[in-house]
Amino acid sequence: MKRYDLIVVGAGPAGLSAAIEGARRGLTVAVFDENAKPGGQLFKQIHKFFGSKEHKAKIRGYDIGAELLESANELGVDVQLNATVIGLYPLKEVVVSDEKEVIHYKADTIIVATGASENTVNFKGWTLPGVIGAGAAQTMMNLHGIKPGKRVLMLGSGNVGLVVSYQLLQAGCEVVSVIDAAPRIGGYGVHAAKVARTGVPFHLSHTIIEATGHDYVTGVTIGEVDKNWQIIEGTEKQFDVDTICIAVGLSPMSQLLKMAGCEMVEDPSKGGTVPTCDAYGETSVPGIYVAGDVSGIEEASSAMIEGRISGIAAAAYLGYIEPSELEEEARVQELSLEALRQGMFAPGKRGKAIKNTDEGYEISQTLLTKGYMSEKEVVRYPGVKKVKGIHPVIECSQNIPCNPCQDSCPKNCIRIGENITALPVFDENTTCIGCGMCIASCSGQSIFLVDEDKEDGYTYITIPYEFFPLPVKGDKGVALDRGGSEIGPAEVMEVKSLKAFDKTHLLTMRVQSAVGMGARFYKQMKEVYVND
Amino acid sequence: MTEKISKIIDRSIDLKPFVSEKDDEMIVCRCEEVTKGQVREAVHAGMYTLQEVRKYLRTGMGLCQGQTCGKLVKKIIAKERGIAPMDLASAVGRAPMRPVEMAVLANEKKEG
Repeated sequence: MKRYDLIVVGAGPAGLSAAIEGARRGLTVAVFDENAKPGGQLFKQIHKFFGSKEHKAKIRGYDIGAELLESANELGVDVQLNATVIGLYPLKEVVVSDEKEVIHYKADTIIVATGASENTVNFKGWTLPGVIGAGAAQTMMNLHGIKPGKRVLMLGSGNVGLVVSYQLLQAGCEVVSVIDAAPRIGGYGVHAAKVARTGVPFHLSHTIIEATGHDYVTGVTIGEVDKNWQIIEGTEKQFDVDTICIAVGLSPMSQLLKMAGCEMVEDPSKGGTVPTCDAYGETSVPGIYVAGDVSGIEEASSAMIEGRISGIAAAAYLGYIEPSELEEEARVQELSLEALRQGMFAPGKRGKAIKNTDEGYEISQTLLTKGYMSEKEVVRYPGVKKVKGIHPVIECSQNIPCNPCQDSCPKNCIRIGENITALPVFDENTTCIGCGMCIASCSGQSIFLVDEDKEDGYTYITIPYEFFPLPVKGDKGVALDRGGSEIGPAEVMEVKSLKAFDKTHLLTMRVQSAVGMGARFYKQMKEVYVND
Repeated sequence: MTEKISKIIDRSIDLKPFVSEKDDEMIVCRCEEVTKGQVREAVHAGMYTLQEVRKYLRTGMGLCQGQTCGKLVKKIIAKERGIAPMDLASAVGRAPMRPVEMAVLANEKKEG
């Protein structure tokens, strides 16, 4: 039987990170993944990541995936694809099916990084073709270049629901609404805001009553729910859609661990059945570790750190490094993990109603129910100040772990400080040169450059723009406000696309001064001309 | 811990009489085409755990191996029994963990 020092199950962010750390310390490492492509969810994640530099913030998911894969290859990690682990036994025997034969391997340490699968909900018609998981939509669009549908309803307003809704818009689909049974939007306000400003309405406290259609989905009926999650009669709303996307959370894919004899617990806060493990990810079976979503649902950034820790721990378990080295190196990683687990969306705070930011600013309630802040609310926050000339307007109102804007400004106009969940502050005593680096660095697309003094009667607003076809200078369209309502004509003055912006284009539009503080999105009118 | 175990295996509790619900016809396990009503009836017939319902109705025994319906079936069983879903153990994990063609399964190579 072929032996490895370390076998990693799953080539996602956690698995690859674990393999890299193990290989770096001299272990012979194999990674098995059932998919045809490595990277887990990373290659579907076309948005820029949150966090700070050490968490690879402002880098897009697929670039992080490519980076990990390259490191793994350089270190001689044996990454095997289309290789499904169909069995894992207590004596660390791994049984793999490679679509032709079943092969047995043995390892001295095993790291299970199998990730998670999507939850679903039952409603009348849920088995009709056209009802799909948000992850499936992401796979179709971002891996295979296929539009999942023309008109989509999204169920679930967590980060997955919000991010995928935005990607559906980018792919050219129409999103008729994002709905959620909860009374508040579950994901980051900045993710909701970038969906809302394109004109997508949110229906909170709503759920799906029925998907209609004969051979496939042709419509959906939603309704408002009361405190006991029962539909309130008379609140039914109907949409013509061909696709219903479900984004109602994830469940750890932990069955292999149960099979290997690891002690398991039911932990709803972790998304379901997970193994018990220590700070290094070691389960009750010595030498079998877990990392990433399989040990509790979080996100890719923390999965990578957990992967690194378990990889280092496996090296220590086999004696490739001293226990003191493990302690030291794990401490660095744990600090980095701690930094990500702070703020309003920290694991323990999920679903709780939070009234104020850490700094004491009142949280926008319209942001939580409609997906955007009102003009009155926006000015509360320290990133929004009225000054002469061009300056950033940072509409960041929740304590989330993210700080690339601070480092992006060559003039130090933006301050966050040591604590990466703090709200960014615009220092009005500095001079903005209008380079736009802050806009491109903001993973939440919540920074704008505003100039109310360039031309009499007009305001110039530079927005992040990630849609095709790209408008060009001179195009005339409509300015949309934060809620996606048309508020006046807009003319494109400039579109900047620099390599440093990493595929975020900076579109500068000119609107009438009266709507300058309201205009936050540009709607192209070209299609209308074509139809005429 | 003892309390939890007794809760799981306590078969002496009286379930409320079976009353059909309007969405009983809805499929919960799509691989094996098992409806919500069938799962509810199974509980009333004495199948108190995920494992028992699985053997009785084949829920979670299809292509997805319970990845889609596991949580849903659990919720239904728990509700019928009047306990929390987290008090029910997940189904046992067995090889092959994923669907494998018979030809592949039969082609076992001892030396990897």
